[in-house]
Amino acid sequence: MGSKAFLIHFKAVIATLVFGSLLILLGCAPSVVKSAPSTSWKTSQDAGGGQKNIEKQRMSPRALAALQLTEQGRMFIENNQPDDAIGILERALNLNPDNGRNYYYLAEAWLMKGNFGQAAQFNRLAQIYLKDDNEWLQRVNLQKERIAEKVR
Amino acid sequence: MFKWYLPVIALIFGMMLAYCWYLSIRIDKRFSGRRWSIPSKVYSDTTILYPGQKINRVLFNEKLRNLGYRKVTHTLEEKGELRISTSLMEIYLHDFKVPSRYKEGVPVKIRFDKNRITSIVNLNTGQPMSILELEPEEVMLFFGPKRERRRLVSIDQVPMNVIHAVLAAEDHRFYEHKGLDPRGILRAIYTDLRHGSFKQGGSTITQQLAKNYFLTPKRTLIRKLKELFMSLTMERMYNKNEILEIYLNEIYMGQNGSEAINGIGEASIFYFGKPVEELSLAEAATLGGLIRAPNHYSPYVDKNRCRERRNVVLNAMYKQGWISDEELKTTLPLPVKTVGYDAYRKKAPYFMDYLSDQLTALYSPQDLSSLGLKIYTTLDTQVQTAAESALKKGLETLEESNPALSRTDPQKKLQGAIIVMQPKTGYVLAMVGGRNYSVSQFNRITQARRQPGSAFKPFVYLSGLDQFTPASILSNKPVTYEFDGKEWTPKNYTPMAEKCVTVRDALAKSINLATVDLAMQVGIDHIVKTARSLGFSTPMKPYPSIALGSFEVIPLELARAYCPFAADGVLPFPLALKSVLDENGNILEQRHMIIKEVMTPGKAFLMSSLLQSVVEKGTASSLRELGIAYPVAAKTGTTNDYRDAWFVGYTPDILALIWVGFDDGAPIYATGSKAALPIWADLMNALPQYVSGGWFRMPQGVVRGMICSENRQTAAKDKCPHPMEEYFLADHIPEGYCPIYGHANSFERIINGIKGFFNTF
Repeated sequence: MGSKAFLIHFKAVIATLVFGSLLILLGCAPSVVKSAPSTSWKTSQDAGGGQKNIEKQRMSPRALAALQLTEQGRMFIENNQPDDAIGILERALNLNPDNGRNYYYLAEAWLMKGNFGQAAQFNRLAQIYLKDDNEWLQRVNLQKERIAEKVR
Repeated sequence: MFKWYLPVIALIFGMMLAYCWYLSIRIDKRFSGRRWSIPSKVYSDTTILYPGQKINRVLFNEKLRNLGYRKVTHTLEEKGELRISTSLMEIYLHDFKVPSRYKEGVPVKIRFDKNRITSIVNLNTGQPMSILELEPEEVMLFFGPKRERRRLVSIDQVPMNVIHAVLAAEDHRFYEHKGLDPRGILRAIYTDLRHGSFKQGGSTITQQLAKNYFLTPKRTLIRKLKELFMSLTMERMYNKNEILEIYLNEIYMGQNGSEAINGIGEASIFYFGKPVEELSLAEAATLGGLIRAPNHYSPYVDKNRCRERRNVVLNAMYKQGWISDEELKTTLPLPVKTVGYDAYRKKAPYFMDYLSDQLTALYSPQDLSSLGLKIYTTLDTQVQTAAESALKKGLETLEESNPALSRTDPQKKLQGAIIVMQPKTGYVLAMVGGRNYSVSQFNRITQARRQPGSAFKPFVYLSGLDQFTPASILSNKPVTYEFDGKEWTPKNYTPMAEKCVTVRDALAKSINLATVDLAMQVGIDHIVKTARSLGFSTPMKPYPSIALGSFEVIPLELARAYCPFAADGVLPFPLALKSVLDENGNILEQRHMIIKEVMTPGKAFLMSSLLQSVVEKGTASSLRELGIAYPVAAKTGTTNDYRDAWFVGYTPDILALIWVGFDDGAPIYATGSKAALPIWADLMNALPQYVSGGWFRMPQGVVRGMICSENRQTAAKDKCPHPMEEYFLADHIPEGYCPIYGHANSFERIINGIKGFFNTF
């Protein structure tokens, strides 16, 4: 038997098996309702990110370590030392790139230094990372307004 | 009665006064300005440790050794001590100061479970620590022609034991005489007369200083007289403590290879690995004993001879009443313990050259070798060591596997280069610009211009994201393109039967024909524009072959251009230099991460997702076999005739680019996945501290859903037999629902299913 003939024979056997199995399955399946097909498109909010994700990260030792650096950065900003704040916040960012507060404080430090372009860049990133944290998002939005005022 | 000799005496006295006045001007001029040339020092970044972090213990131990920590077996007593066991490490941290921060050294205990840190405890307080920062590592010195190392100390810093040891060894009547010690001179004259030559100096500390500073070492009577006058003048101009301070910073204390160790501050670090304030009595006496002949009495040359000399000094100190009987008895039997040293070698030489180029734009070479600046960088020495080692091993393996790659001429050997960055901030963690710096200083990361081949393709796909989705279909049929009157017929690396492929598969499998199809639909000009926006500075012309990476790029720029994919669409500036401080700790220069938005976060996420497929089912799938089990986005690259092999891979935490090739463009007979990918894997396996295992969060503007694998339209829920997950930009969701299964009844679904089944044959 040639290989082509074998392939046809093989296909016929497989078809019978598959067809038979599907018929059996159909007998058990509920009748199909003819309605518009549907699928669910998942956005970033549905994707398991959100506040819970942030909280989980806050709990990880890595995030905890990074938060200490973030806190040091915040203190430098309070002490009006933007350059020192930026230096330490960059380290925090490298350690935990997902912590949106780093971006917020970096925007704050650049604002303090009078570089509104960089402040706006970091504010935008803060918005991305803090979108699920209402309290922080409010602060980010206020910061955005302050940057816009300065630009004006 | 006129005494004829009085005018002569007056004249001589006047001449002496005039000479002293002249000397005082010279001394004032010398001492009022900079007293010493101090080489500027380049430091790595600090090292951060935290519980839960995985580390490479071999590299970490090397790091501690480079930082001057010395292993002990007893309970930690002093800063700089280190006790290691299998699952435990105790470190008595050094104090350190970096811009804006001072950290006092405390003893800490680090517990490990294999290579994972399980806890860090401050042994002083017993409190657990959530973060620990180790001091920056000194990696390079900008030497002047004299190649002197010196660490300045003030007299207030120097403990009394050190001062007494120095005085006991060199000039115990220092605080009593006026620059000259008649008893010493008489003793010297007596000795010299006995030997018939100038054998013994008998110099006071002031005289030694005068000799070192202003005079030649030649022993002549004239010089001795000059030294005498100068000493007297100095004693009139400065108080004793000022003279002693200058002396303690000036004296030659030994040699480290081609470098001279000068001053008590540098010697303290060189011999004992600690600042002068922390020296023990035994160590102080050892340093005091060294002054007479540093290399002869050096503990690195002969510990026994050094110990004998130290005990001479201890006895002299006791004789002067500067130490007690008990101190003498307990110190005399102690062995001489040193910290050990490595002969100076330029670490991370290509990185340093890259840095030097930036520094010389700010400071002259003379300033760099004399002002004692402190230069802080982004370098991570552990990453640098891992990169150097991975490249060496990778190139040797390639040569072993293919003898045609071996060259006897070191200048012509197979080459490679690595750059490691943190994509969010642009920090350059490591740079290896070639195989052997001593053979070739050409930095292949910053100076080379090479075709990127398929490593350029991501930028073509990025350009297409406004028109295409990852599920869009591209043609994989051979086409001859005509441009500028020339014909060009691209080919796939391996022949393929499929006439159509998805965007995702085309990039994952690096399919040339489909990529060119995409490029032609997107527009070559648009691709050039995209490349420019990502910072490529090399010339790029709008030829179709740009889609396959035919225009040369600088590897550093290629690595940088990948960063926005890992950084929410933000392009960072590569940062190597962080700050420059003067010798008093004032900040002269400070540099920060500078970012620019070059694509939306949605596009960046989509690109990372596409490039993840390269690892999951494409040309980089062998990464898994090499121990990379966490999510990675990557792209391989191979150029015509196998001239270049590339691999660029990243995670949210780290990005590394590998290049392998010959400088003269000879073929290496291997693809990016064969030649460069294993080096990347080797490098990453050595850096567990940079592997979080995390992945990018889906940003706003991106949606995820199921599509039908057959027609790439939205999958009909519970109807499509082979739905697959795909990401889309929110405004590029497939408009239609699956036409095959969406409205099909049960019978049609069965028929479609059977059709689909047979189509697989």
